[in-house]
Amino acid sequence: MLRMAQVSKHYGSSVALDAVDFSVERGEVMALLGENGAGKSTLVKVLAGLEQPDSGTIEIEDRAVDLRSRSQARAAGIAYVAQELSILDHMSVAENVFLGDTSFGWLRRPSMLAKKAAPFLDLVGLGSIDPLKSAGSLSIAERQLVEIARLLSRSARIAILDEPTAALSDAETARVENVVMTLAAKGCSVIYVTHRLGEVFRLSQRVTILRNGRNFPAFPTRNIDVDGLIERMLGRRLDQMFPPRRAGEGDVVMSLRGCSTPGVRLPVSLEVRRGEILGFAGQLGSGAGAMIQAIAGARPLTAGTMTLEGCSYAPRSVRKAIRSGVAYCSDDRKRDGIFLGRPILENLSAPALERVTRFGLIDPRRERNLANGVAERFEIDRRRFGSAARTLSGGNQQKVALGKWIGTDPKVLLVEEPTRGVDVGARAEIYRHLRTLADQGLAVIFASSDTQEVHGLADRVATFYHGRLVRLGNTDAISLEDVTRDVTDADQGAAA
Amino acid sequence: MESARPPGDRVRVIRYAAALVTLAATLIVAGFTTPAFVTYDNFLAIVRAASITGIVAVGMSFVTISGNFFALSAGQMAAFLGILFAVATVAGLGVPAAILLTIATAILAGILQGMVINVIGNPIITTIAFGAVFGGLAAFMSGNTLIRVHDDAALAALRFGTARPLGIPTQSWAFFALALLSWFAIRTTRVGRLITLSGASPAAAAASGLPVGLSSVIAMVIFSCGPAIVAIFSVAQFSLAKADQFSGLDIDAIASVLVGGVALRGGQGSPVQAALGALLIAVLQNFMLLRGLTAGERMTIVGLVVVIAVAGFHLAQGRRR
Amino acid sequence: MNLSAPNRDIVLRALLLVLVYLVLAWWVPNFRTPSGLAALLDAAVLTGLVAIGVGLTMIAGEMDLSVGSMAAIAGVLAIQFISAGVPLLPALLAVVLTAAIVGAIQGLLIHLLNINSLIFTIGTLIGFRGLALMLAHESTQTLPIDKLSIADSVSGHFGVLSPLSVTLVLAFLAVGFFASRTVWGREIYAIGGGRTEARSAGVSLRRPLVIAFSCSAGMAALGGALLSIRSGGATPLGYNSVLLDAVAACLIGGIALRGGRGGLAGIFVGLLTLRVVVSGVASLGAPFWAQTLASGLLLILVITGESISRTIMRRRHWHRTATAQG
Repeated sequence: MLRMAQVSKHYGSSVALDAVDFSVERGEVMALLGENGAGKSTLVKVLAGLEQPDSGTIEIEDRAVDLRSRSQARAAGIAYVAQELSILDHMSVAENVFLGDTSFGWLRRPSMLAKKAAPFLDLVGLGSIDPLKSAGSLSIAERQLVEIARLLSRSARIAILDEPTAALSDAETARVENVVMTLAAKGCSVIYVTHRLGEVFRLSQRVTILRNGRNFPAFPTRNIDVDGLIERMLGRRLDQMFPPRRAGEGDVVMSLRGCSTPGVRLPVSLEVRRGEILGFAGQLGSGAGAMIQAIAGARPLTAGTMTLEGCSYAPRSVRKAIRSGVAYCSDDRKRDGIFLGRPILENLSAPALERVTRFGLIDPRRERNLANGVAERFEIDRRRFGSAARTLSGGNQQKVALGKWIGTDPKVLLVEEPTRGVDVGARAEIYRHLRTLADQGLAVIFASSDTQEVHGLADRVATFYHGRLVRLGNTDAISLEDVTRDVTDADQGAAA
Repeated sequence: MESARPPGDRVRVIRYAAALVTLAATLIVAGFTTPAFVTYDNFLAIVRAASITGIVAVGMSFVTISGNFFALSAGQMAAFLGILFAVATVAGLGVPAAILLTIATAILAGILQGMVINVIGNPIITTIAFGAVFGGLAAFMSGNTLIRVHDDAALAALRFGTARPLGIPTQSWAFFALALLSWFAIRTTRVGRLITLSGASPAAAAASGLPVGLSSVIAMVIFSCGPAIVAIFSVAQFSLAKADQFSGLDIDAIASVLVGGVALRGGQGSPVQAALGALLIAVLQNFMLLRGLTAGERMTIVGLVVVIAVAGFHLAQGRRR
Repeated sequence: MNLSAPNRDIVLRALLLVLVYLVLAWWVPNFRTPSGLAALLDAAVLTGLVAIGVGLTMIAGEMDLSVGSMAAIAGVLAIQFISAGVPLLPALLAVVLTAAIVGAIQGLLIHLLNINSLIFTIGTLIGFRGLALMLAHESTQTLPIDKLSIADSVSGHFGVLSPLSVTLVLAFLAVGFFASRTVWGREIYAIGGGRTEARSAGVSLRRPLVIAFSCSAGMAALGGALLSIRSGGATPLGYNSVLLDAVAACLIGGIALRGGRGGLAGIFVGLLTLRVVVSGVASLGAPFWAQTLASGLLLILVITGESISRTIMRRRHWHRTATAQG
């Protein structure tokens, strides 16, 4: 049905897809696996018409197709459910199901829409919801299901689902799996991107694994087991990527007792020491990021207590947390982490503005000294201080987003996805810098969906799955495979 | 890999340079085609015309840079403050005290609008509504008639409005001074940096621990001083105030800010750009007037210039919204 | 009574209208007579027609600031056409169609440039005003004596209604139907409610923008033309405050500033609420400035009240939507 041959795509100097061959048969469920940054989302975006490949061919049913836009992809029979939901809060559920669909006449009576939407909603398990209710009242899981209902209503030949079950409960996941199997039974080809290995074994006939932009030839699911999957996904990276770990010997600087927050189901207790790097491993929806946000004051604590250097620590806002000495870098660097249009110099001094002002005026010398200090420690080119942060590469932007906190002398540095959107070369630098920061007395807590990153960098690891802390301990005592297994539900459902 | 000439930097230069270059170009074209243009008196007339709008535009640019688009209450605030100043002077308060009262009221008005903007989240509607309130207050306080200042002592004190040090009206001096002061403020003070960063990315500013809400309030306070100063000068020049005096002021000031290249998105630009925009529009209007264009033709062309400027800057930055 | 949120919202606003009307009807005897109500409706026609168009652009997540200038152009053109001998309806049609085409071009440009309509329409606000001046040769245009009968024909009353108020109601019904019951109308809501989400889902961006701005220009033209004809004259600098009044009517009627919410029924309720307050204040003998003051205060009260209640609702909602992410 679908055949992609030698498809390549690069962004600037980083290669996202490297001569990838990918094919799916009619009525087949193909699982697409790979670590973050391996190229999965790029591949999927190319099929959806959101990105153009630099080279290679795409054929559907032996005819070459040009997928230069969303509408062309749709016309070719490709339906795509992205990770980011596109549900409109203020329109009804039924309208959301048929969003973008202008094929059935100009009149839109609510009762008619509700009736048309009902069968699709039924299929995804939302049959009990009033289709005329506004979609804003739906939970994230329900919205995800509405998106899948939308996909069903488009009667596509090729359906792409990008991590559809990240936010879903077990029961809802089962529903989606049923939908996928029904789709395939009707002759639709399904490309299923997931991190959850259990689903791979339950649903797919074949598996394609991407690593660093290249693909392994697809093989039947029944011919492999969990360990084999993990081994192929991880591969072996350069040993020099991660600086050597240290045993945590400093004082305890922060402790959590019985803490939970929206997104974390079972209370979490842990401690961090000075000079230590603690890594939270977990996929989207696992609770790892939520926990970090709670410590940062960006998410309310629904239970439990925290202490910072022995004193009670209960920040009600990110600002208060910063004042207490807890710095936080969210995973959305472009939105929260840097001022894209402002010079790098201003970016570096922003959190520490008070320290570089005297009598209400910004002292340019102090500002430059502060910035120089950061630039030195994080290897940022001082000559670019006057350029807008937008002009930096992803890796350098991340260095700015992380490094600017140094000026505030924080006690704890919290980071989500420290190397998202950063190419391999710059990653090693960032790991080195985080290590240096820790060695100089900071406690670093980071959350990442990249298990190799967590295992390689952190002195201690906490694994999260589905809103609970699975395992906490010294990294030396845990294998990479263990970590990966913890976060991907590998134990439940391996049909090996 | 970073490019040798970062495109982002190039756009900033374009914005700064465009107003200046266009101004220079217009001056040159006008100078060559219209002899009446190149006289001292004519330049004075231009500067005089630019000063009123320019003072307000310079203050307005802080609002724009802070990410709050525009304040549409300038005209009515100026009318209200003018009447307040005139009434206070007539009531015997003494000109210096009356000036202080007017400025204090303006600051209060700015704080109020800033706070409501933080609550509501939409500065355009907030300032439109406050404008209506100020307009009503202006009419109320004046009883919808002219307020004239008759008292000799007061008139003497108000002489500063019509004075011409070095042949240039005091209001124009005020315009230059405010433009320079504002440029200094936005670049070197902490408040100026706060305003710029809050406009550049409110999310990143909040994440860096900066008080974003406060920056809106401060921007509105700075803005409010513009109408206050313009109102005081107007009363000083004409010895009277009336409620419908400054009706086109908002649009003129906004046009100046836009033509000068200050980005609507916020987080970049400087008040000097707004001042240049005001000068450019004044030069254009003057040139068109000397060429005999009617009021309608002049206005249409100004509108066209605004659309072209806005579209041009937008395209130069890559159509990013 | 278990009403859905949008219906609950309209009921609340209608209650506000009833309350405001009752209060003012008690003070103002004229409000209780048919002729008084007719005058009330007539006074609402200009603001109402403009509000329909501006409201549509606001629902789309934009705002057309040039409506006042467009109304002025329409007024001038209408008077000129009728003075030149064109009958009433063709003259109206010509003016409205021209405006609709100009508005469509505005919408198209806004789409192609991907520019914020605020700054674009500030420029056209100035430009159109200049055009009005040019078309009118800088002077007030009046109908010649032999055409004054046409002005009269638009001014009649039957009961509470008049040709103008009937036009208003019909316009509300037509656009209301379009916005809530047709695909293209729903597209306008879609791009206003979430521009990126709508694009991701494949909703056309060009069509709703062109339609919304075409409608706002057309409605403004209809209002400006009708009112100029009725008063027998048009000044190119007129219709200055109609933008503020129209936006106020929309906001009081529940149109959200960020788009995607509210409806034409709400705009109608908001329009009447605003007019009752303003006309009531005027009938009580208060000077003109008090009317502007009253409408400004009403606006501030309504939107502050709204956003406070929205913040309270959002705090309750935080847990639900934030749960699984992370």
